[in-house]
Amino acid sequence: MAARNFAASWLKYAALTVCLLLFIVPFVFLLLNSFKENNAITSNPMSLPDRFNFHNYTYAVGKMGYMSAFWNTLIITVASVLLISLFAAMTAHYFVRNQTKVNQYTFLIMVASMIIPFQAIMIPLVKIYGSLGMLNNKASLVYMYLGFGSSLAVFIYHGFVKSIPAELEEAAMIDGCTRTQTFFRIVLPVLTPTTATIAILNVLWIWNDFLLPSLVLVNPEQRTLPLSTYNFYGTYTVDYGPLMAGLVLTVLPIIVVYLFAQKYIIQGVMQGSIK
Amino acid sequence: MIAEKGVWNRLRTRLLFTGPTLFAFLTVMIVPFVYGIYLTFTNWDGIATSHTLVGFQNYGEVFRDRDFWQSFALTLKYVLFSVVLINAIAFALAYALTKGMRGQSLFRAGFFVPNLVGGIVLGFIWQFIFSKVLVYFGTKADIPLLSYSWLTDPDKAFWSLVIVTVWQYAGYMMVIFVAGLMNVPNDILEAASIDGARGWMRMRKMTLPLMVPSFIVTIFLSLQRCFMVYDVNLSLTNGGPFKSTEFVSMHVYEKAFLSRDYGVGQAEAFVLFLLVAAVTLLQVYFSKKLEVEA
Amino acid sequence: MNKIKGLQVLILSLLVVMVVTACGGNGGGKDTNASDSGNGAGNASASGKAVKITLLNSKGEIQTQLEDAAKAFHEDNPNITLEIQAVPTGGSPFERASALYASGNPPTMIMLDTGDVEKFKDRILDLSGEKWMADTVANATDLTTFDGKNYAFPLAIEGYGFIYNKAVVDKAAGGSFDPSTITTTSALENLFKQIEASGKKALVISPMDWSLGAHYLPLAYAGQSKDPAEVNKFLDSLKAGTADLANNKVFNGLMDTFDVMMRYNLDQKSPLSGAYERGPEVLGKGEVGIWFMGNWAWPQISGFDTANGQYGFLPVPISNNPDDYGNQEISAAVSKRIVIDKEKSTPEQQEAAKKFLNWIVYEAKGQDFLVNKASIIPAFKNITLPAADPLGKSIQAYMAKGKTEPSMSTLPADHWSKVGASMQKYLAQKSDRATLAKEIEDYWKSVK
Repeated sequence: MAARNFAASWLKYAALTVCLLLFIVPFVFLLLNSFKENNAITSNPMSLPDRFNFHNYTYAVGKMGYMSAFWNTLIITVASVLLISLFAAMTAHYFVRNQTKVNQYTFLIMVASMIIPFQAIMIPLVKIYGSLGMLNNKASLVYMYLGFGSSLAVFIYHGFVKSIPAELEEAAMIDGCTRTQTFFRIVLPVLTPTTATIAILNVLWIWNDFLLPSLVLVNPEQRTLPLSTYNFYGTYTVDYGPLMAGLVLTVLPIIVVYLFAQKYIIQGVMQGSIK
Repeated sequence: MIAEKGVWNRLRTRLLFTGPTLFAFLTVMIVPFVYGIYLTFTNWDGIATSHTLVGFQNYGEVFRDRDFWQSFALTLKYVLFSVVLINAIAFALAYALTKGMRGQSLFRAGFFVPNLVGGIVLGFIWQFIFSKVLVYFGTKADIPLLSYSWLTDPDKAFWSLVIVTVWQYAGYMMVIFVAGLMNVPNDILEAASIDGARGWMRMRKMTLPLMVPSFIVTIFLSLQRCFMVYDVNLSLTNGGPFKSTEFVSMHVYEKAFLSRDYGVGQAEAFVLFLLVAAVTLLQVYFSKKLEVEA
Repeated sequence: MNKIKGLQVLILSLLVVMVVTACGGNGGGKDTNASDSGNGAGNASASGKAVKITLLNSKGEIQTQLEDAAKAFHEDNPNITLEIQAVPTGGSPFERASALYASGNPPTMIMLDTGDVEKFKDRILDLSGEKWMADTVANATDLTTFDGKNYAFPLAIEGYGFIYNKAVVDKAAGGSFDPSTITTTSALENLFKQIEASGKKALVISPMDWSLGAHYLPLAYAGQSKDPAEVNKFLDSLKAGTADLANNKVFNGLMDTFDVMMRYNLDQKSPLSGAYERGPEVLGKGEVGIWFMGNWAWPQISGFDTANGQYGFLPVPISNNPDDYGNQEISAAVSKRIVIDKEKSTPEQQEAAKKFLNWIVYEAKGQDFLVNKASIIPAFKNITLPAADPLGKSIQAYMAKGKTEPSMSTLPADHWSKVGASMQKYLAQKSDRATLAKEIEDYWKSVK
């Protein structure tokens, strides 16, 4: 019995490892090729770099205006994700606890809106906000992310808020907490794992988003990382070496944060189970 | 139901809790969307300084546009295969990775990696893999199936898209499943296993019903993302070979911005929205019912 | 429990701080923008004559060169700052420009494809009165002239045809290869045979839809007649559905040549698998002797060059009669135009933009940028600098001899994509010539 279990667990490890390799292979390609010259990339994308040549990286950093793009992306992402998580959690909570017809329909409309293709509102969006003179600054972009991102966040929170027993909150309110206090003291902490998930999903979306910032941020000094990475695309061809390096540089902060957030999710869940 | 005393208090709470979200949502999504619908009744080309109302003419063209319906049918097929595969694989991964095995957070992080890079680049890297790496491998190992690029054959290019999509989203959905599985209280499962419920039985009677909320989210998300797929379609096959893998978003986009038929493109986007809304709302409706029953 | 509370407070306060600082930063950013871009009216009068103008560049491969040119221009005109914006990949200049117009933030100058200029005509400046109008090469502004007014600055001439690697064809011809001997389909096939006999592959066909749909097939339209009016008449008959492509001599001749190309194609086994990048590599390394492409490919070819920089163009023959139109001519035309916005740009900005265009044409630094740095073939007679690369030189030689055929640069915007797909199908042998002719005819009938 023990031997069988041992074998089964090894088999599982092996299967998962193979799967994992399949999942990260393209990433390895990205990293390897970021050290190679353009020609070497196109003639043999699989070869190892002759030596670790950081030329692409230094070139990319200069060309992209990396530091300023990094700060822009960071400010936009952090502000948007915080706003989305906070407001969406509040709205979802309100919808679950006040299941009136109006709220139910509003929720349905929000869910349905996720199916709107971005291309369908792209031109009207810039037309409207352009005529209001609200384009070309980060605050508008953050505001738009709140508008675009809140439906999904409300939708995900909605499912999880329902799993929290309402009695918990009722008890707190009887003890004299206001609705707002109850939300921040009881509900939000319990939702931590969900918040972590939503934060991760939104960070990835906003950090890597291209189309929306390309429409809203016109001035180069406001560019985000994906916008500056796309400098390496030409009409007929692409500067692959610097592009790959630029992408690695774009993604690197995310990986670090992700590895950290992975721990945070587990922490959050452990906190949740204490309750 | 929780409610405050007094109209004023109730209103204040409502505004505080839903005000910011709903206001942003309304002004960023709904208003432009409605304005977009208005534009479908005009002959605006996306740039001209003036336009005139043309009534339902653009919608008439949508129904006559055979390519639109063809690409819609193709998209349906793609959505079907992708959604099933994404959810099956994502759930299996999440299930295997919430058992407390050593290194599981490392594994989770790994499976999530595809989501770290934007769609255009993913497509580019996979293009390398399909047209270079696999061909190289296939020729050396003498596997006829792999000895020429999959992307040059309409059927195989379609499956390449499905593979890349599954690869791209499985990790994402896995994260949502993991969050859901962690909410399944361990003591229930332990109690069940002491009672003699094992393996498949435990999965079917205990875990799956508790996972319905997660499934609603993941199926909805994968449906929505697959229907709207554009990035990967563009960078992996670009609709080719010869337009055989042009999904509906791409068709709409090209109609509006390449054929300069902005009104028709916008009208097609709206028709697409209605169709997809019908499909996904049905899904949400039925799974909510399932959830109530479970 | 206490510990958790502490953490919570920490996170919350962090949250507040971040929101506040982020918003503060944004507010500040907004203010500076309002004062320094603001499309500059107040700005210009307030701080002397400082003008800021922008150019939307849709020729991605010269982005760096343009940025350097902007710096050089600023040195010559310290009161004018020029900023270069890029069209993102996957997006067309038309889409980007219309989005920017919709947003109320149009750039001062936009680089457009020839066929798109007309759409913008209500929003852009009439340039008929500019000095450079007198110095353009023949017919350079015909296609951007509406009601007698020219709206666009011709930036670059681009040409395409068969690019040959001289080292390979010399070896195949057993001596010095004379490009003027290739004027018929059979002479071309003969050359292919010679190249194969010398142990190399004859050519590579790059299967991109834009190459087949926007460059190769339009030779069938352009080759109909020397007279542009006749060519237009032919396009009109296609639109009306009265043209009979299947029995058209030029179309059939062009496709006969294509059949020959397909027989000698390096990628014959999997004709659709090659990407653009493969072309310059196999040609530059001398694995093939010939590649169908244009002079814009030089930077990529030079990266693999093994022929000591010796390359040139051959025409694409459409018959076996050397004197037929198109058999000695290279397809070339002005491909990129710069227009100036008049809607949101102040008179100062418009003047500054005009100054930049003049700077390109008449100042030594501007000419140096155009010809030597950006490897562009200029559309101006007064610029006498020789082309900087062998492909540009070759095109210029054909132009000097009057042996050019105007490329079709005002085809409907989706032509390359739709017809390119039909051509790919033909290349993959998934359709025959009759089907191809029918698909092209059907496409034209759907054009409004």
